Amino acid sequence: MGLRMKITGSESVELRETSITNVVFGADIPHDSNARSTDLGSTVLIEGKILAAVGGEAADDTSKLARWSLVPAENSDCYRNVQIDVVNASQVVRQITVPNAFVVDYSEDFTDETGTGIFKLLIKQKKDKMVNLKFEGGFSGE
Amino acid sequence: MGFTLKVEGSSTIDLGTISITGVKFRTDIPHDSNARSTDLGSTVEISGKILTAVDGDPFDATRQLGLWSLVPAEKSDCYRKVTIEVIAASQVIRKFTYPNAFVVDYKEDYGDTEGVGTFKLIVKQKKDKMAQIAVEGGYSV
Repeated sequence: MGLRMKITGSESVELRETSITNVVFGADIPHDSNARSTDLGSTVLIEGKILAAVGGEAADDTSKLARWSLVPAENSDCYRNVQIDVVNASQVVRQITVPNAFVVDYSEDFTDETGTGIFKLLIKQKKDKMVNLKFEGGFSGE
Repeated sequence: MGFTLKVEGSSTIDLGTISITGVKFRTDIPHDSNARSTDLGSTVEISGKILTAVDGDPFDATRQLGLWSLVPAEKSDCYRKVTIEVIAASQVIRKFTYPNAFVVDYKEDYGDTEGVGTFKLIVKQKKDKMAQIAVEGGYSV
């Protein structure tokens, strides 16, 4: 399963299947509601590898993720458009577009036992803009 | 993957690739916010080995980390400049700079089965100085 993420804002970040290892999509609804709640949110967790550039290629975009996580709330750049594609057998299984995403958690983990680092990015859609979230898929593409 | 740690304050602490075994960087944001929160913090966790000096080598600087963790809040020396580099394949993958870092946790662990002790240092950037943090990377050593 190939996972791709594209973030557009003041700068663009593109990470492909060589880097991203896991995507978890979740709809956040209160578990204790007696009827359908209006309190609806959405969180997406993206996990991947921080790769070292070899053979003179450009460094990967993961350091931009770290800097995005540190953008203060006063700056409009803290909201960015995130598109996640799940591609399998020439089919786009899911295409999730989070147009006003902000970071709620970011971590990087490096150890001397592995050759690559690991990042975890947790994003949410701005809650008053939930209608703009797109949840598509089931069309062909690569 | 190799790491270097430099702490600059009243004295300079340098630890290199032979000592440090892991680095964890984290941005602390409340998980329950509905929109981007102004409550932003950053934590870094460094783990490594406490090596014994042999052949007349100087002792490693880990004891200085322990002393830093004991500096009282009344002294300005409790805030120090921390620079961490993550290096792999002749590339600086990350360079984290925390100009006003303070210790929130320091632990040393010794057992009778290993020949070395281990330490774990957790530092945070002073929260009102978050804008001064620098995360760089992706260039040659």
